[in-house]
Amino acid sequence: MSEAEYHPLPVATESHKDSETEKYHAFVNLALGLAAITGIELVLVYLPFNTVFIFTVLLSLSLFKFIAVIAWFMHLIYDKLILTLAFGTGMAIATGTFIALGFLFSRGNVDMDAITGF
Amino acid sequence: MSDTATASHEDGHASLIIDNKKLLMWLFLGSDCMFFGTLISTHLIYRKLYPESFEPTALFSLELTSFSTFILLMSSFLMALAVSAMHKGELKSFRRNVIGVIFFGLIFLGCQVYEFAHFVHEGLTLSTNTFGSTFYMMTGTHGVHVAIGVFWLICMYFYSHTGKMDAHESAIDVEVAGLYWHFVDIVWIVIFTAVYLIEFI
Repeated sequence: MSEAEYHPLPVATESHKDSETEKYHAFVNLALGLAAITGIELVLVYLPFNTVFIFTVLLSLSLFKFIAVIAWFMHLIYDKLILTLAFGTGMAIATGTFIALGFLFSRGNVDMDAITGF
Repeated sequence: MSDTATASHEDGHASLIIDNKKLLMWLFLGSDCMFFGTLISTHLIYRKLYPESFEPTALFSLELTSFSTFILLMSSFLMALAVSAMHKGELKSFRRNVIGVIFFGLIFLGCQVYEFAHFVHEGLTLSTNTFGSTFYMMTGTHGVHVAIGVFWLICMYFYSHTGKMDAHESAIDVEVAGLYWHFVDIVWIVIFTAVYLIEFI
């Protein structure tokens, strides 16, 4: 490629760089937090606590990680609301499907003898 | 309209503009949520209906899976830094971080290949039982997503060396690739808890 065709990236403005530096600190803190939570999750399943308690804590930690990555790493808190809606709609349908299937295919509602394929 | 007027007009409406690529990627991720939602639901439902069909705790290595999770989370961190570097116009920093993401992505895929090989060696295949079918289908689909992401980033890395990267367009392209990569990460967060950790409590 010839030099004439090369267009170097322009240097960002100072205010833009400051905002990116702020984000950098948020990203570092979040990465450390996520790593720590993964460690806690690993230890938690081996602890002799009540099953319901562990299940609830695992679910909460997982939800926190999920939301944290979407909000900060995926920039959703810095972006337009419509993007949240675009993704949220899919999430809502997925969650709804999960809950509905959970109820429809509970042991009481399924003829176990009819499903003998496996 | 003069240049100044155009600039003023653009500034005035800048906050209302949403990049098409970004919007489309978010819509795609929303639809992919439904896709993975059904795969995870199917696995959990069959697990509930046939709890006695398979006991995965003897087969699962929670340490390996936790390591994979950690690797993927750190790759997300590097991807966020790569996007940030691109917004600042720091091409070298962008390349460094993208190389890190690709490296971590390949480690994750390596761990998954090792896990699958181990499971198959132990007798759990796609057709062994409902657990095998739904497990391989779900984690395999996720693995394919990771592989596509790695390929995408490799292409982006080489493209950054061509000198054709435009400041605005490329920043958006990198951001869109980043969104995809982070999505792959959040899907794994769910799979890690719903499929692996839950089995051990």
